[in-house]
Amino acid sequence: MKSSRYQEEILMLDFSKVEIWTGNQAIAEAAILSRPEVIAAYPITPSTPIIEALSSAVENGRLDAEFIAVESEHAAMSGVMGGSAAGARTFTATASQGLLYMMEMIYWAGYGRLPIVIGLVNRSLAPGWSIWVDHQDAYSMRDAGWLQIFAKNNQEAHDLTVQAFKVAENHGVYLPMAVNIDGFVLSHVAGQVQPLTQKFVDDFLPSFNPIFKLDSSDPVSFGALTLPDDYQMLRKDLEDSFQRAKKVITDVSKEFAELTGRDWGDLIEVYGPESADIAVVAMGTLAEEAEEAVDELNKRGKNVGVVRIRSFRPFPTERIREVAKNYDKILIIDRGQSFGSATPLTLEFKNALYGTDIPIVTRVMGTGGKDVDYSEIMAVIEEVYKEEM
Amino acid sequence: MVSTKELVNIELEVKAIEKGNLACPGCQLNLSFKHALSALKGDAIVVVPACCTSVIQGAGQGYGMHVPIFNTAFASAPPVASGIARKLKRDGKKTTVVVWAGDGGTADIGFGSMSGAAERDENILYVMYDNQGYQNTGNQKSGATPRGAKTSTTPHGKKSRRKDIARMMMAQEVSYVATANASYPQDLFAKIERAATEFAGHFRFIQIYSPCPPGWNIDTKDSVLVGELANNTGYWPLYEAVNGKLEFSRPSRRFNDPAKRKPLADYLKIQGRFRNIDPEIVKQMEEDIEHEWSILRKFM
Ligand SMILES: Cc1ncc(C[n+]2csc(CCOP(=O)(O)OP(=O)(O)O)c2C)c(N)n1
Ligand code: SF4
Ligand SMILES: [Mg+2]
Repeated sequence: MKSSRYQEEILMLDFSKVEIWTGNQAIAEAAILSRPEVIAAYPITPSTPIIEALSSAVENGRLDAEFIAVESEHAAMSGVMGGSAAGARTFTATASQGLLYMMEMIYWAGYGRLPIVIGLVNRSLAPGWSIWVDHQDAYSMRDAGWLQIFAKNNQEAHDLTVQAFKVAENHGVYLPMAVNIDGFVLSHVAGQVQPLTQKFVDDFLPSFNPIFKLDSSDPVSFGALTLPDDYQMLRKDLEDSFQRAKKVITDVSKEFAELTGRDWGDLIEVYGPESADIAVVAMGTLAEEAEEAVDELNKRGKNVGVVRIRSFRPFPTERIREVAKNYDKILIIDRGQSFGSATPLTLEFKNALYGTDIPIVTRVMGTGGKDVDYSEIMAVIEEVYKEEM
Repeated sequence: MVSTKELVNIELEVKAIEKGNLACPGCQLNLSFKHALSALKGDAIVVVPACCTSVIQGAGQGYGMHVPIFNTAFASAPPVASGIARKLKRDGKKTTVVVWAGDGGTADIGFGSMSGAAERDENILYVMYDNQGYQNTGNQKSGATPRGAKTSTTPHGKKSRRKDIARMMMAQEVSYVATANASYPQDLFAKIERAATEFAGHFRFIQIYSPCPPGWNIDTKDSVLVGELANNTGYWPLYEAVNGKLEFSRPSRRFNDPAKRKPLADYLKIQGRFRNIDPEIVKQMEEDIEHEWSILRKFM
């Protein structure tokens, strides 16, 4: 059943060891194990502890890397871009306004095909000032050419960070990737995490093998003036890479699950009964909260499931079409908005399910850090039951 | 200092720029690039933010420069170069990482990021080629546009003084700061070489005066002459400042004496950008020259 490699890997992983880590620690520790060579970073709540941990790991010799304490987020993304273009594995972290300030370079890294990994600790956007979670920051980079994946707990954040490098640097993908966790709810709340070991990560994650890099003995130009035909071809290539990434993300998740026994799903995670009256759709911790809500309701004789979107980009359109058949109705709980239109997740579902007659209802919940517990999700599900099915 | 003949031979050998790139005729930024990259013997990685240099390389696969170039967004060149330099350090490579940026990219939008890289003392040779305006977008004023110059956003001549970036870098205690002038290639060559060897490992800053025929409204054939007059009128003092200690460079040295300087009018009259400007502004421009020298002298 399990390969001999699995047995070997078991030995590499010490399952008796459990740490109590915040989401930020879980990401930072995984980033350290992934051996990035260049880190450039700028502090912002709630992602600051990630970069502090990396900076001390470099300072105390635990991580053999360059840490560039830059003067802005724009420079942070620029710094990792330079490192990546010179052939280094690179990592940074930010949130909210930091991401917006970085945005010009976020696009540059995406369209420029630099496989950087960023820890994005989701936080709402000002004004008014709010340091608490929603997904509006992540939605702002939707079309920037970045893979975007969301964790539901600290363990998944830890595991995903290592997987992210493997996906991003895959030659068939070769795109930057954002690992998202909910601000404070995960970033600052400690929970059990089984740490990966250095031996495991070294084996699981091959060293970065750049397709192209800056080298004075082989002069190439990055990002020079590009005429319309070439430009369109490059963007088509970007889209093709996103399509290929669907399989790579799935394969890497599967490989990881086989080796560690920790299966977080593929592009989505389906929870609950095979087929149900309602599927609750959400990302991040809201999806985990929804799991509790449906458990409770199903105990009371309801029939509800959860479809958690793990990969927002690429969007799992085909998987959604596959699983949607199992539900009579879809309830999307979105932690962000697209003003003047449907919410970002709703737009994705309407696109994915175009031509089917599965009803979709949406609730915007938990923006600006508004606490959403499972009982509120239960109440919303009950409401949806009462509406015309 | 290299002789003219040696310089020409090195430039032919390095071929930093291929024939027929997209620079305008008489463009001095193009020549500055050739001189600078020849001084580095081509062993360089160049980071170019949005500016004329992003365009003159050529389009797509018709590529006109013979060094690796990372083209990047307007304000981002210094941190991009920092990332490259850090990786080269890990790989034990001696290649010089150059930021090749315009005056607008340096004095305005990229000032914070350059200042940040200087503060971290990144191993970068920062070259600000100074064509005194946003030329790529059609000659709007930049922070480095001099008093008096007409641009499309200062149609009657700029009223305020230019931001003096070289002096600001001295204030930041950058180990090597120099000014250069495209009309003095040997001096420019020597400064790049010195910065790249003697001060390797540190942040270095060189500002090159680079006339732009269309932006300055000068005759193509005059672009070298304008540079010469900038020197001989005392308008553009050439110097090197090593750890804050300043020395005037040979072509400029004797103009420390105001009596030796040519009249500013000689410089102004061959440039359309200064045509018909308010005599009051011209008077201030004349005063600006001695003002500049008097500040620089304090660092000798
Ligand atoms: C963020 C951003 N704002 C504006 C521009 C438009 N832009 C491109 S080049 C340029 C002027 C560059 O001036 P300078 O740095 O002096 O270089 P030059 O063109 O004179 O060589 C401007 C305003 C841009 N590319 N990016
Ligand atoms: S506009 Fe001026 S600086 Fe730009 S390429 Fe032409 S001459 Fe050179
Ligand atoms: Mg300019």
